Amino acid sequence: MEIIKYILKRILQTIPLLFIVSIVSFALIRLSPVDPLAELRLNPSISQETLERERQRLGLDKNIAVQYGLWAKSFVKGDLGITSNGESVAQKLKERIPNTLLLTSIVIFLTWLVGVPLGIIAAVKWKSPLDRILTVLTSIGMAIPSFFFAVLLLIFAVKTGWFPIGGLTSSNFIEMNLGQKILDITKHLILPVTVLFTVSLAGLQRQMRANLLDVLDSDYVKFARAKGVSEYKVIMKHALRNAVNPMITLLGFEFAGLLSGAALTEYVFQYPGLGRLILEAVMKSDINLVMASLMMGAIMLILGNLIADLLLIFTDPRIRTGGTN
Amino acid sequence: MKKMGYVVLVIILVLLFAKACIRRDMPDAEIISGGGTEEQLSLNIYPVERKNVTINGVDYLQTNAPIGKFGGTLINSTIGEGPKTFNPFNSKDATSSTFADLMYDGLVTIDPVSGQYIPKLAKSFEVKGNDYIVHLRHGIKWSDGKPITADDVYFTWKNIILDGFGNTSTRDSISVDGKLPTVTKIDDYTVKFTTPKPFAPFLASLSTAIAPKHIFEPAVKKGKDFFDTFLSTNVNLKDLVTSGPFKLVEYVPAQRAVYKRSPDYYVINSNGEKLPYLDKITYLIVGDANNEVLKFEGGELDVIGVKGSDVPRFKERQEKSGFSLVNLGPDTGTMYLSMNLNNRLNKEGKPYVNPTKSKWFCNKNFREAVDLAIDRENMVYNIANGFAKPLFTPESLNSIFLNKELKPYPRDLGKARDLLEQAGFKQDAKGRLRDADGNRVEFDLLTNAGNAEREAIGVMVKEDLESLGMKVNFKPIEFNSLVNKLLSTYDWDMVVMGLTGSPLEPNGGKNVWLSNGALHMFNMRTPQEAGKNLLPWEEELDYLFEKGAIALSFNERKKFYNRYQEIIYNEKPMIYLYSPIRITAIRNKFKNIYPTTLGGVIHNIEEIYVDDTGAENGNN
Repeated sequence: MEIIKYILKRILQTIPLLFIVSIVSFALIRLSPVDPLAELRLNPSISQETLERERQRLGLDKNIAVQYGLWAKSFVKGDLGITSNGESVAQKLKERIPNTLLLTSIVIFLTWLVGVPLGIIAAVKWKSPLDRILTVLTSIGMAIPSFFFAVLLLIFAVKTGWFPIGGLTSSNFIEMNLGQKILDITKHLILPVTVLFTVSLAGLQRQMRANLLDVLDSDYVKFARAKGVSEYKVIMKHALRNAVNPMITLLGFEFAGLLSGAALTEYVFQYPGLGRLILEAVMKSDINLVMASLMMGAIMLILGNLIADLLLIFTDPRIRTGGTN
Repeated sequence: MKKMGYVVLVIILVLLFAKACIRRDMPDAEIISGGGTEEQLSLNIYPVERKNVTINGVDYLQTNAPIGKFGGTLINSTIGEGPKTFNPFNSKDATSSTFADLMYDGLVTIDPVSGQYIPKLAKSFEVKGNDYIVHLRHGIKWSDGKPITADDVYFTWKNIILDGFGNTSTRDSISVDGKLPTVTKIDDYTVKFTTPKPFAPFLASLSTAIAPKHIFEPAVKKGKDFFDTFLSTNVNLKDLVTSGPFKLVEYVPAQRAVYKRSPDYYVINSNGEKLPYLDKITYLIVGDANNEVLKFEGGELDVIGVKGSDVPRFKERQEKSGFSLVNLGPDTGTMYLSMNLNNRLNKEGKPYVNPTKSKWFCNKNFREAVDLAIDRENMVYNIANGFAKPLFTPESLNSIFLNKELKPYPRDLGKARDLLEQAGFKQDAKGRLRDADGNRVEFDLLTNAGNAEREAIGVMVKEDLESLGMKVNFKPIEFNSLVNKLLSTYDWDMVVMGLTGSPLEPNGGKNVWLSNGALHMFNMRTPQEAGKNLLPWEEELDYLFEKGAIALSFNERKKFYNRYQEIIYNEKPMIYLYSPIRITAIRNKFKNIYPTTLGGVIHNIEEIYVDDTGAENGNN
């Protein structure tokens, strides 16, 4: 019961937050000097009447408060509106969401699968050669800009011919059988996954290592060791449970990242994901599309945090009592 | 070392913030003369004779191109976000038009060699004064088996185009003094169009797609708002009913579109077999030009337009990788430099352009001096790697209306200095140019940021003009803000821009040249100012464009358009710099390739075939 109340409270809190986010985003886009019709204006074959019609269709002839009001009204009703090309925003997002989810969930899964154990090992073997090697490797991973790494891998693909050059599926995808299709997608995914994995692994491994080191240094761990508890038990049962809390908060943020995509990497690899769509939308001030994706990002972030907080309630009894007070 | 250089080069390209490197005096002669690309174009003369033959009551169009093999795929690409609509009447961008053109034929088409209009979906047409009588083919069908008749043509023109559905640019381009042509159905296979006045550009508009009435009529009945979303990119592709050589069967957003051959197309080869030869055409949707190059090199693409600066790299691998470079000659794109001649006041009563500067720009000597100071050859060599031609006229070099009397001239700093001196400009002791009132000649030069080519031009213009003692502040600014300055606020001094025009129809440029045109950038007028304060040569341009459109014979029209080019050549409101040369790479396995300057490399798509079907998928 308590927990449902808590969730409801949190959801109610998000409403003013979303309202503020939407106003700020809307104002930022509309106040920027980007003219959504610039491209058309420079086209010699477009008449003034056509331009005027476009202005009315996109609502650019109304003042910004009215524009926001119209947008907010349809958003609340669940209608995301149409893009500047007249396509449905919901449809556009629906086309891209599965692709982005595929990429980001593989990356997050792999990072956690590899990053957490590596962090634990590094902390346990603190200052050993293994720890040092991992530190160097993660330093490289953190230092290398993702787009630069992506470009390097792309050149590698062109030179060797081992991997397709960007995209998600080959041009004859429709004629393949299921096995070939899976293989084809896997081949296309390897490079972008490698880039995102390398970059996010570094951060996660370091975070895990630092958390665990903190905990390993605390008095109760010393006490447990002094008591003669086996080292395995000290780490797995006592230290890890406390070290994992910040990681759960981190997981909440990762959840938000699921749908915000990785625009730079997607761009270099021509991956048909949300990041590229949004980047293109921002560049031509396609307001409905940009707003829909920003709101989606905000909602995912709030949702991610909520999930993380709920998980913390389960893993950490201290919060459980704190939350109900 | 060479590898390293290559890596650096590609990184620079891909990162998009490449400023074009400006290397003066780079020895490019080898690239230009070492070629054979020039010959390639002239070697294959397009066997253009196509004739109508009637077999079992069906009027086919027979080509006499060499007979090829059926099957195979051609993989092409488009840069950007892909098509926005599959409705040929709604397309506002080049990609959507390309995608629609493959599926919907127009009544007439452009002869890729002569540039004249020839029948396509129509069997023949006659022009009698203001009347255009179009005879349709008997027995040809839409992809769903329904016959293509005069009803479809009448419906397309009357209910879609003339009633202003979708993109109205066709309608806008054929309205003469606000009056539109009329269309009448004479019988099931004959339609008559009548223009209110003699109007030569009308014929071009007949190349607009014809819609299947039975599919489009319900959409038209639901009104313009519905029509705007009709056949959008999320339509069920099975619902498309087409008349063209290919039909879209798969569309994956941001990835590709796959077309399959129409089995019942009306073009046949000399054996009487129905074309096209190719089984499929795939368009890959790639995000940017650099990725497109990589995809071509990786074997994922069959045809690609090559930028001048990429040509040396392509040349190197041409033989190993089994493709040929085709030189298509100068492009329709033009790069120009323009000065703001606007000396009027804005709504607040302030001048759009600082009056001191305005005085310089309105001075013909000043404009001529700027023109003479510009080193076009240097731009051609260093920006386009030699794959461009200096340009001196507003019509592009491949235009059939190009005024060949207007000769190129070289850079001449001495003459430029003389002209400035005559106009009262003087260089002071430090070499700085000052006008008659002692003001330092200093102004802003704008272009749109992110366009590496225009930025490189800007840098060169700045250098060239500084040798006359002018101070040029070169500022690449964001595209939208630039357009806003050019078309709304008019507060700019000098700009580097590009426009594309039609090599066949100068009337398309009327928006730029008419004194009240929406793109009359060098001297924009607000609607209230329309027709006021015309410069004498602006007045003449208005007259020439009005007369040029209603004159009917080519030679008569040519007279008017020759004169307009002469005016721009002399008055220099816009200083033309160069036209890029179009180079296309295509894999050698494709046969029946007859490139023409006007049509490009795959204009005869139905005749193109693949010679070695075995190696087709060898690249994966």
